[in-house]
Amino acid sequence: MQSLSKLVKTPWFLGCLVLIFVAVVMWNIPIEKRKYGLSQGSLVTDYTGLLPEHIERVVTAENRNDLQRIVKQANENGKKISVAGLQHSQGGHTYYKNGVVLDMRTFNRILDIDEQEKTIHVEAGATWEDVQEAIQPHGLALKVTQSQSIFTIGGSLSVNAHGRDIRFGSMAETVKEMTLLTPEGKIKNVNRDDPDEWMKYVFGGYGLFGVILEVTLELTDNDLYTIHTEKLKTNEYESYFNRVLKQPDTAMHYARVSVAPSSFLDEMVVINYDHTGNKNHKSVLKKEEGVRISKMALDAGRKGGTLENLFWATQKRYIASLDGKEITRNNAMRSESTFMEYTKPGRVEVLQEFFVPVESYDEYLTDLKDIIPADDKSHDFKVHNITVRYAAKDNFTTLNYAKEDMLGLVVLIQHGLKEEDITNAESLIQSWTNLTLEHGGTYYLPYYRYQTKEQFKSSYPNWQDFQEEKLRKDPNQVFQNMFYEYYVK
Amino acid sequence: MKFNSTRYLPLVVTVGQVVIFPYYIIWLKQVSLTFTLFAWFFASFSFAAAWGYRIYQTKKNKERSFLFLIYAGMGVVYIVIGFIKNSYEYLPYIVLPLQVTLGLLQGYFRAWHSEQDTYHLHAVHHYLIVGFMMIGFSFVKIISPVVFITIFGVLLCICGAWEFFRIGQLRDPEKV
Repeated sequence: MQSLSKLVKTPWFLGCLVLIFVAVVMWNIPIEKRKYGLSQGSLVTDYTGLLPEHIERVVTAENRNDLQRIVKQANENGKKISVAGLQHSQGGHTYYKNGVVLDMRTFNRILDIDEQEKTIHVEAGATWEDVQEAIQPHGLALKVTQSQSIFTIGGSLSVNAHGRDIRFGSMAETVKEMTLLTPEGKIKNVNRDDPDEWMKYVFGGYGLFGVILEVTLELTDNDLYTIHTEKLKTNEYESYFNRVLKQPDTAMHYARVSVAPSSFLDEMVVINYDHTGNKNHKSVLKKEEGVRISKMALDAGRKGGTLENLFWATQKRYIASLDGKEITRNNAMRSESTFMEYTKPGRVEVLQEFFVPVESYDEYLTDLKDIIPADDKSHDFKVHNITVRYAAKDNFTTLNYAKEDMLGLVVLIQHGLKEEDITNAESLIQSWTNLTLEHGGTYYLPYYRYQTKEQFKSSYPNWQDFQEEKLRKDPNQVFQNMFYEYYVK
Repeated sequence: MKFNSTRYLPLVVTVGQVVIFPYYIIWLKQVSLTFTLFAWFFASFSFAAAWGYRIYQTKKNKERSFLFLIYAGMGVVYIVIGFIKNSYEYLPYIVLPLQVTLGLLQGYFRAWHSEQDTYHLHAVHHYLIVGFMMIGFSFVKIISPVVFITIFGVLLCICGAWEFFRIGQLRDPEKV
């Protein structure tokens, strides 16, 4: 006891205590979240912060009658309304200058789960995470959702998102029924046989055709999958993917393309989720894991050059380590997202997605090498990650990005915020978009509008139908946002 | 205590630390992401101060207290803070060692100061001076807290240099 007391009194004991404490704090310093959204000062932004705008007010959605009243008043007094969920779209889709923003995040109740029919009836402000938590105990899972569960249902449907599932088509196709607040202030229940074709315009309609209040979604079983990973050369991918599509055992699939200088657009890793024939009703939903290490690795990769080579090597090793592991469908549909937070002042990290027909993939990536430098270490415009996902042909929505079976390249880009940096990024992305169009492809609309109006019109030939129907269904143009003003109006 | 520097420098440092504290808190709040992290920063400062205090207490030759290094060290920390530009990604990782350094030096200084003859007189004076200074500062509009933090850092470095030369003056006669 005396020796312990003596030990405590030595300066070294206190020194060790300090060092241990500092190490613990260092390990637990939280990863900062980018500050954006509806409550940041007088100007509203979305995730990029590239389109700050003054708005009149934010209305938190409490009940459908209040929302109905606001929309009817807007029709009478000429006010403009935008609809916001978690604001992960990046091109000003959730607000409009001097307009009213409906914040739908509180409209998030799970209303009914039908185990026999395998459906869920839910309010549109709920997140996919909320849905997963509700359906997990019933042994059910979503048919289509994004790879992360952080988005609201209304938001995902408004951008007609797609995910890793290669069997169930687009997200819009999994909606059985929907309750909509129309631009005239009426509440309508619509299904796929609706003669006014509301779903055709609301899904992928970026909040311009009304407010999605509730939806009934089709579900499937929470199957157990085996993860299968493989390394490929880029020119082997097209035939590999066509084989995967023909294998009924593979439920989900995605791939990553190297953006490291040493193997730029030459190497790929593929990840398949294959049926085991088992279901899993007991496993818990996974939480975010390994965020700090993933962030450190990604931050290193963000520097470019040798560090990006190292990051790619680490990714390959990590993905190879997943081979043979089992995972439930629900857990495969809730990837980590916090590690991607990027908060460097004076710079922004944005997403872009380009779709090309499956058979154009090889030639497209070869031609892309002429536009994007292999080593972006000394460049302001940096490409950090390219993920490849399958988007099946969509004949349903008006602004459809998959006119045939497409491969979507989700690209994570970083650039500076100085005027010349933004101009340079715009120029590069426009060249990239032209290349995509030359290969029969298109680009995705929820992201920042680097593209020109001509590129929009070429990518979405149905845009005039979209515009005409907008004026027919919303004659007073009550629902507005920055996206509409730039591209369609 | 016939040397003015021994009489006045500890008072300047003590008063300065208290006066700069509100500005330092504002800066620390800006770089802390959450209250938890803010509290952890203070905990690390506190543990390090206890460590510094203990180092001085267990020192065998208390006459050789290297006060000039303590003053200059604290000054450098405050100047470094003044030069930090907002880089949110890594800032908490930089602030943590700065907190430990500052705590260690302040603990050491406090232990030394408490053993000086002037300590109790300084305690009374510093409360009064701080009170009047804070009233004065309340009429000064803050440009940025780091401006005051940097100025105090420079002042501490001057104190360190002053102390260094004082030691030199003391040693010179011994060489004769």
